[in-house]
Amino acid sequence: MSRGNNSSLRSLFWCGAALVPLLLMAACAPATQETVTVSGTEVHVMPAGQEHSGFLGDYSQLQPQPDLENTTAYVNRDEQKNLHHYLAIIIDPVQVYVATDDDPSLLEDRGKGAITNYFKLAMANAVVDAFAIVDEPGPLTLRLRTALVGVDIGDEAPANELPEGAEPLNRSINIGEVGLEMELVDSVTGERIAAAVNRTTLGEPAEIGSTRFAQVERYDAAQEIIDGWAAALRDFLDEAHELSEEEAQRAIESYRPYGGIQ
Amino acid sequence: MRTTILVVSMLMFTMGLGVAADGPETFYSYVDSSICARLMLGPITQERIECSQDTSKNGDSPALVRLSNNMVLEVNKHKMVKPLVGGFANVTGTTKVKAGKIKLESAEPVEVGDIPAGDPARQLLDVRNFRASETVYNQVRHALAMMPYISEFDFISFTMNGDTVILTGWTVRLTNRQEAYNRVKVVEGVGAIVNNIEVLPMGRNDMNVRAGARARLQQHLSRYFWGSGSDIKIIVKNGRIILLGTVSTEGDKNLANIQCNQVPGAFHVFNLLRVEKG
Repeated sequence: MSRGNNSSLRSLFWCGAALVPLLLMAACAPATQETVTVSGTEVHVMPAGQEHSGFLGDYSQLQPQPDLENTTAYVNRDEQKNLHHYLAIIIDPVQVYVATDDDPSLLEDRGKGAITNYFKLAMANAVVDAFAIVDEPGPLTLRLRTALVGVDIGDEAPANELPEGAEPLNRSINIGEVGLEMELVDSVTGERIAAAVNRTTLGEPAEIGSTRFAQVERYDAAQEIIDGWAAALRDFLDEAHELSEEEAQRAIESYRPYGGIQ
Repeated sequence: MRTTILVVSMLMFTMGLGVAADGPETFYSYVDSSICARLMLGPITQERIECSQDTSKNGDSPALVRLSNNMVLEVNKHKMVKPLVGGFANVTGTTKVKAGKIKLESAEPVEVGDIPAGDPARQLLDVRNFRASETVYNQVRHALAMMPYISEFDFISFTMNGDTVILTGWTVRLTNRQEAYNRVKVVEGVGAIVNNIEVLPMGRNDMNVRAGARARLQQHLSRYFWGSGSDIKIIVKNGRIILLGTVSTEGDKNLANIQCNQVPGAFHVFNLLRVEKG
């Protein structure tokens, strides 16, 4: 074979090699994943006809949880990499996926910030006594990723009767039908330690029409939903920390207090 | 009555209701090491005396345990009491109860026989005061062993004084301190609870030391590690490692010590691992 032919074959091989991952990525990606930037922050759009947002990437490990309603979840039971071995947590900014038929440009930064900041704070409050909350990756540290999926952008928000300091939003945000996707990964390696999808929906509107929605009575339903997600996160962690029968037996045998005269 | 007074004084200490003394006071104390005072608060047994002396010899700072109420006090003049560790002393100084500290003026060694009969200090020297119902003891032990958020980096110990449970030890999670209290509170036969569990700082270096120590021990002594926990407990505070728990052989105890001494960022290893008898 001539030198020229070899060169052409090599070019063809590298072109093919370069195309394979691209084709694989295209095949694996959720259909019509759309992300738009509104006022400098990303807003995702729920892909049409898909059960999941694509935020978690791989959903195949998730299994229904008998003790957690409307939840599918995965917990890594590997001896080296399981939730018991982590002591600290980084809480990432909450991602928002608007409903497929919504125009993401209508979701104001202020509204998105009001929800995601409140949710992040609620999650921090829910876990702080069990995990130290930190900002940087490190050993024994988890990273918590969360996404609110199916946020609905509503009509013009009523501006009257707001308390002092609470700015009205131009459009209300409805989270009555929103689902929650979350993932806990090792903050250094990115390896998945646990993941969960919760599909509990209120079945009725839960609107937010103000930046300080927690102060406004008519937005109580939305606040309760968010507080409920934070509590569900803690329930999930508590559940995952419960000892199996075998572990309990070993823990009892192993535990011998120092001191005393027993 | 005696028990009631003892319990009330312990509770006052725990709740921080005590106030700093106006001037110096003199009282009988056991001269302990900081680690063993935290780990074995309660009767002065031979095991405790050995713990105090070993850890002190290995660099742990001395602490005074006020015999009348089990109050642990950090001292400002280590040299004054270090030679007395593992024994008793009549000390004079100004105590700051909330801070758990004493500004020492003097410390004179005493023998147990020097403490007058009827003195409140004698109560904590009489091991009979620490005998508890075996059933209650085992239920407390079971309740603490089953705590879900206990990891290899926590060790919660306890001593019983009649129906009073004195919780001691260290934890990396705030929730464990309250959870231990809540679990013991509902055990039938438990009267009062004194919660002396210390919540450890979570600084970057300590986190690295914890991870490093666990990795080494898991690699070399893997049989002591299982799913969610371990038989070896690794307590890390300000770069110092305290090894607790039980291993099968003296060789394993030494190996744990060697491995932990090689962890970057670890300043010292206090090896308090017990070796299985027989």
